[in-house]
Amino acid sequence: MLRLLAVLQTDCPTCRLITPYLNKLAAGSVPVTGISQDSEEVTRAFTRQMDVRFPLERDPGLDLSKRLEVVTVPTLFVMDEHERVIRQEPGFDKNALNEIAALFGQAAIATPHDGAPASKPGCTSRHLEVLTSDAPAPALDLHSSWGTAASVIELDNSEDPHEYCYRVFGDALPVIPPTRERVDDMLRALESDPREIIGRVPPCYGEATIEKIAANAVMAGCKPELMRVLIPLVRAACDELFNAHGVQATTHFAAPLIVINGPVRQELGFYSRQNVFSNVARANSSLGRALQLILLNLGGSRPDSIDMSALGNPGKFSFCIAENEEENPWEPFHVEAGLSREQSAVSLLACEAPHGVSEHNARTARGVLKSISYALTTVWTYRFCGFFEALVVLGPEHVRTIHRDGFTKQNVREFLFENTGVPLRCYSEDDAGEGKQQRGMYREISIDDEPCYQKSRSPDAIRIVVAGGTAGKFSAVLGSWSTGARGSQPVTYPI
Amino acid sequence: MPITLVNPLNETQQSAAGFAPRLAALQGKTVALLDISKPGGNVFLDRIESLLRERYGVAAVIREMKPTFAKPAPPGVIEKIRSADAVIEALAD
Repeated sequence: MLRLLAVLQTDCPTCRLITPYLNKLAAGSVPVTGISQDSEEVTRAFTRQMDVRFPLERDPGLDLSKRLEVVTVPTLFVMDEHERVIRQEPGFDKNALNEIAALFGQAAIATPHDGAPASKPGCTSRHLEVLTSDAPAPALDLHSSWGTAASVIELDNSEDPHEYCYRVFGDALPVIPPTRERVDDMLRALESDPREIIGRVPPCYGEATIEKIAANAVMAGCKPELMRVLIPLVRAACDELFNAHGVQATTHFAAPLIVINGPVRQELGFYSRQNVFSNVARANSSLGRALQLILLNLGGSRPDSIDMSALGNPGKFSFCIAENEEENPWEPFHVEAGLSREQSAVSLLACEAPHGVSEHNARTARGVLKSISYALTTVWTYRFCGFFEALVVLGPEHVRTIHRDGFTKQNVREFLFENTGVPLRCYSEDDAGEGKQQRGMYREISIDDEPCYQKSRSPDAIRIVVAGGTAGKFSAVLGSWSTGARGSQPVTYPI
Repeated sequence: MPITLVNPLNETQQSAAGFAPRLAALQGKTVALLDISKPGGNVFLDRIESLLRERYGVAAVIREMKPTFAKPAPPGVIEKIRSADAVIEALAD
């Protein structure tokens, strides 16, 4: 008979992250025993706060931790009936959790899109901590699941509620006052506890309870049925891969762009055709604005302080498009992210404002894509190659021309990758210029017999969405912010 | 008629961190220099380091670097500079 031992600390964020999963294992009859390295008092508080549903014992003197040679908390130990360790897993890792569940004959307990990162390193075991004379910092409450009810604000007759909200809550535009009645209407659209915390919104990590999300959604003009999109959207915005901490505080132009896919477009009225980037549909505009208000009011990225963008981005009022899947002969964006076509999805990408590409004369895929490649060379700054990505939003008329020539979506990416580069002659002047000092790292290629530095790192750095109206041969290029593990990575969540 | 609004702002309790005690002098102190990995940060901090050593007589300088300026410093980096009496951070390009 196997049993699972989990060595934990009460103020370790990774231990708090893993606890709900241990609850799930315990609920599925896995014999889980927690071992707390902390005092009785904080261990009791942790049990209450995290709703721990397995026995949580203490490790006085850290004797057990030393015997098991724990380096990191959490560490999970699978023990056999002779108390021998047959598997040991430090930190938080969804694959490892699912494999351990399987050892006990349980189905997977950690899914890719539940709001937690795929993996997260833990903290140092208490017996290995270096003691300093400093008083320990108070533990942050990072991963409890329940927040408190929002406070209420009573306005008397002398106060105009619209002026009050505009002054205190808004984005420099009027908002709809989040009255108790309107917020309750919004909450009735979900059968969830309004105090449930969906995420902690960077950079100030304000708790986004369902009630707080609803209050901001009211202000943005959302209809109650949009709540089912807002919940996964807030999870996406709080995903560590997306790194809203950086996106919301940078001096750069980037803003989170929402892309909606799947049947929810028709169900809730998301628009994917003409004027897709602007003011065409209540669903797009109000969802985009709700996210911005949440980032502002719960995340604290105020444009006059923590949000340091030098020039800003008009998308910081609202930045939400839907893919025109009906005009897309290839797989839609969310299908590339691993979801089924019938699954509705919300994606987030840190993007600059759209840069238009007009091409009314080219009659071939190559001709259209050549024009787009010239716009792609300007991403970040002309002479900087290799580090930045782009979203290419192809208009339906361009898509038809490209598809008629037999190009797949991967062909499009590869053509743009191979045909986007900056001529070496642009690096010849002696004075300094951004992107010049890194040229030793660039790949030299030939484009139309001219030696160039290749603009992108790989075809995957060019993402493609089909959107826009069917009249007018236009596409758009949206440059990224800092990319990859050191910047912001696009995220897609099912709705 | 009076109107009741649900507060849409962040009400999460934040624990305030105070300033570390200010130093009266740098003589004999340990100073950490934190590079956030923006271009030119090392140039700036190299100069600061030589000034600290030549003009201010610091006992030791700890050099640390964040892996990326786009994210908060990882715990390992903070741990390494925790023992310093003062920290100087090079922020921009």
